[in-house]
Amino acid sequence: MRMKQPEISVVVPLYNEEDSVAILHRRISDAMQLADLDYEILFIDDGSRDRTLERAAAIAVQDPRLRVVAFRANYGQTPAMAAGIDLAEGRVIATMDGDLQNDPADIPTMLAVIDEDTDMVVGWRKNRQDKLITRRIPSWIANRLIGRVTGVPIRDNGCSLKLYRASVIKRVPLYAEMHRFIPAMASIVGARVKEVAVTHHARQFGASKYGLSRTYKVLLDLLSIKTIIEFAQRPLLWSGLLALPFIVASLVTLVAAFMPLFSPGGQLMLPFAGTGLLFGALALFLLLSGAVGELVYATGNVDLTRYSRISAVRRDAHD
Amino acid sequence: MTEPQATPPRYSIVMPVGSRFDDLGELLAGYREALDTAGASYEFIVVLDGPNRALLDVLSRTAAADRRIRVVELAKPFGESAALAAGFDAARGAMLVTLPAYYQVDPQEIVKLLAAAGEADDMLIAVRWPRAGGVFEKLRRGSFHALFRVTSGMAYRDLACGVRLFRRTVAEEITLYGDQHRFLPALASRRGFRVREVELRQSPKDQFRSHYRLRDYLHRFLDVLTVFFLVRFTKKPLRFFGTIGFFAAGLGGIVMAVLVVQRLFFGVLLGDRPALLLGSLLIVLGVQTFVLGLIGELIIFTHASGMKEYTIRRVIQAPATLPATEADTAGLADR
Repeated sequence: MRMKQPEISVVVPLYNEEDSVAILHRRISDAMQLADLDYEILFIDDGSRDRTLERAAAIAVQDPRLRVVAFRANYGQTPAMAAGIDLAEGRVIATMDGDLQNDPADIPTMLAVIDEDTDMVVGWRKNRQDKLITRRIPSWIANRLIGRVTGVPIRDNGCSLKLYRASVIKRVPLYAEMHRFIPAMASIVGARVKEVAVTHHARQFGASKYGLSRTYKVLLDLLSIKTIIEFAQRPLLWSGLLALPFIVASLVTLVAAFMPLFSPGGQLMLPFAGTGLLFGALALFLLLSGAVGELVYATGNVDLTRYSRISAVRRDAHD
Repeated sequence: MTEPQATPPRYSIVMPVGSRFDDLGELLAGYREALDTAGASYEFIVVLDGPNRALLDVLSRTAAADRRIRVVELAKPFGESAALAAGFDAARGAMLVTLPAYYQVDPQEIVKLLAAAGEADDMLIAVRWPRAGGVFEKLRRGSFHALFRVTSGMAYRDLACGVRLFRRTVAEEITLYGDQHRFLPALASRRGFRVREVELRQSPKDQFRSHYRLRDYLHRFLDVLTVFFLVRFTKKPLRFFGTIGFFAAGLGGIVMAVLVVQRLFFGVLLGDRPALLLGSLLIVLGVQTFVLGLIGELIIFTHASGMKEYTIRRVIQAPATLPATEADTAGLADR
């Protein structure tokens, strides 16, 4: 183990990037040495089926600053990032894509932005080198939506080039495909986020691994994130808000059902009464679900009070 | 029980004994003969799933004669998965072998199983082949495996066979409960372990249960569903519940829309329409399913730090910083 904590750990998940590995390693090393940073590099091989691991391993034997972590199988980008973040030893952790579309030369600039008031810097691909229709327009809509829903207005959630204070990001639960929402997840624990414009290169090797098909999944994930954030901040309010339209609907239909009784010869409107009761039951169910949600938070491993004392953590990090 | 030997054996054989067992003395002798033929260093752990006086006597006598045999007795019947887990806990070998307490494969075939294990394999599972059995038996077996293949996307030929050989890390990483022991290969391969099937000769004494009750079928079916859910949606419950909820609520919304259009433009009074109940029922069902998914998401989020989504095969690093280039997988994953 190195005695001194490196200034920055660069974490790069790799999946079938045999052509990029060597270039990537050289670019990162050059950028770090140019800025005179004490750094380490972590390549996470996410069960690649090509020669990525062999090539990365060959470099690792030469360069003591590089660690290559080999996964047993292909688990996905988020677990790869999570593994890198778990193993990183630096004060600041940078994550980036392995496809050479991010430029490591941006890292020193972004590092300078992390200070007393900023825990996280996200890259913003100002001149994005991707197809307009299938990549950039959906991404623009998605970013607006994510910003609106999560309350963390970032112009480019999809950019993998991000820097985090290690003490903050190591506390954010990362699982499933949550890497897209790291800024939002981190905001739950009180992280303050800034945005920096970064260079974006066109893809040199290999094929893009994403397409339009993920939209549906992203929408559902977004809903999960919204719920998680709302519960973390105002637990019962969220379920109360969900229940409100059904309470109103229930009252309206019940009134409509019973109204005729007040006029002579009127009869109870059964379909209305049934609907009113159903909606009323749903509202109650939602409120109770909110209570269950509270219970889940109370028994879970996520200690939100611990997160709110970020300033104390940050002082440690500077010592 | 005997005191632990100084050097752990290579193989730990775990044999859970539940409600179904054949003549254990004869079976044990057969297995041990095969293990000796293979020249394996082994320990034999028999797990009694619940107290059984008669069996314990027989086994104690065998264990007294051979210190490689140990008997673990569970306080009450917990099921085969729990019995296996107890056996794994007691095991000290680097490779674990599970054997059924009744005839499935010919005991002599164990030699072949041990010999088949290569460096690249994490788990070998036996397939009884060639397989006896009538048309109905074949059909039942085939449909179970087909159902499993469709739901999990993994093709196995003989999940009912309890003869399996795997690395210790497999047992350390996968928690078995309920009836999941049957699906251990699927769960293991999901975690990135390399699983391979080996064809072993079926024992002539392998008995089929002559009749299955409806309850047995139902249990198998629910097992498959459990694994389906575990394998596909544990990390993202909303993708499962959300889709169901979305369709139910959507259908309800369409019914409602039709009713509203008829009310507004054709003057059909809403209060006279029982379909209103159907529409609202579907919406209620949809929203409830959706909210269940959201609660699932909350559970995953709050417990995410406790579950590792990945396993590291090894960390490669220049020798200057760390003496060991190949770190212990389990140790690293736990860090």
